[in-house]
Amino acid sequence: MNCQECRDFIDPFVDSELGPGDAIRVQQHVDSCADCRNYLRSREALRVLLGNPQLKFEIPEALPGKVSTRIRLLSSPAKERVVRKYSTRWVYVPLALAASILLLFSLLLLNKNDRFEPLNTHSLVDEVVASHVRSMLASHLLDVPSTDQHTVKPWFDGKLKFAPPVQDFADNGFRLIGGRLDYLDGQEVAALVYQRNKHIINVFLWPAESGANESPRSFSRYGYNVIQWARDGFNWWAVSDVSAADLEGFADLERRG
Amino acid sequence: MNEEHIRARFEILILPLMNDAYNLARWLMRSPQDAEDMVQESYLRAFKFFNSFHEGTNPKAWLLRIVRNTCYTALAGREKKRREVPLEEEANEIPDTSASPLTTLSKQATVEAVRAAVAELDVDFREAIVLRELEGLSYKEISEVTCVPIGTVMSRLSRGRNHLALILFDRRTVDQL
Repeated sequence: MNCQECRDFIDPFVDSELGPGDAIRVQQHVDSCADCRNYLRSREALRVLLGNPQLKFEIPEALPGKVSTRIRLLSSPAKERVVRKYSTRWVYVPLALAASILLLFSLLLLNKNDRFEPLNTHSLVDEVVASHVRSMLASHLLDVPSTDQHTVKPWFDGKLKFAPPVQDFADNGFRLIGGRLDYLDGQEVAALVYQRNKHIINVFLWPAESGANESPRSFSRYGYNVIQWARDGFNWWAVSDVSAADLEGFADLERRG
Repeated sequence: MNEEHIRARFEILILPLMNDAYNLARWLMRSPQDAEDMVQESYLRAFKFFNSFHEGTNPKAWLLRIVRNTCYTALAGREKKRREVPLEEEANEIPDTSASPLTTLSKQATVEAVRAAVAELDVDFREAIVLRELEGLSYKEISEVTCVPIGTVMSRLSRGRNHLALILFDRRTVDQL
């Protein structure tokens, strides 16, 4: 082994990365060559200096905690989401069952009381009330939140086959707060949403088949008041938990236009 | 393997290596704050990629490779910014190379002198030296971490050490050895 070869092998030699054959040859060369021996000593001295454990930087005390927290945060939100999804789902099953049973009994009872009304009106009143209740439960009260009738009215364009008349009655205590699309009597309808103090009034309207004007008829279902009339070629249904008198007052405003 | 099990395995195999991760990041970034940021980012990445960690992989080499790549990405972004800095400001950053002869230094001063010498190395040599001398990785492991062949690892170590010897040992000291 010559000096150049020895220098090439010296680092793997001190790092114990040489095969035994090469290691022996390096050892034999440095034993007989003073220059290469010095070179090896320099490397060994360097190794002592770099082997000082103080050279390694100490990790800041707070860092491991920060890292573990971030990793736990990274892995937990997904799990929480799954848990929440399931819990909501299972909570709704008994609720929905209870609500269905209650509704069934109420319908049977009320059917007896209002037995002179035509059957289809019955079911439509229920549908209107159900729609109102649904709009209050879900976060789906408004598709277009706006107190401006000139915003709400054009919003329906293109979404419905008809252009519903939209008016604000804030001066009379019935403030327009927006509108949305809904589905009643087997068709898409416009829902206008008004606010009376803390109460919400849903007004459903869609084109009337006959086109004849109809005088208002009042209904009451499960604590909700409903008024239905026909005017200007539209069927109007107003539903709310405001008092019957308030709702009649509101219907009067709508009918006068 | 469920999520809980994966995290437990990560906590057992990878979390205890944070000291090594910090040390490498600190040497590559040359700033404590940057090193902390790099460790946090590396660990989040390591956790995300933990499914690529297979039985038989060396956990330390696996983690340090992620740390190293995270640091290089940050350094590359910084280098791009640095090139926009006017030249005279850059000139101020050239470190003081006048290291005192080691024979006259106290123990603590020796540590500081060695640190300064290593910090001065080009990043390729610096990381090879740190991984070998401070982290005790084998050539094969260093080659895995730094994504270069073993021959390159060897030559980087050799050149890095030559440079350190030049800085740390004045002519006389080397001759005396």
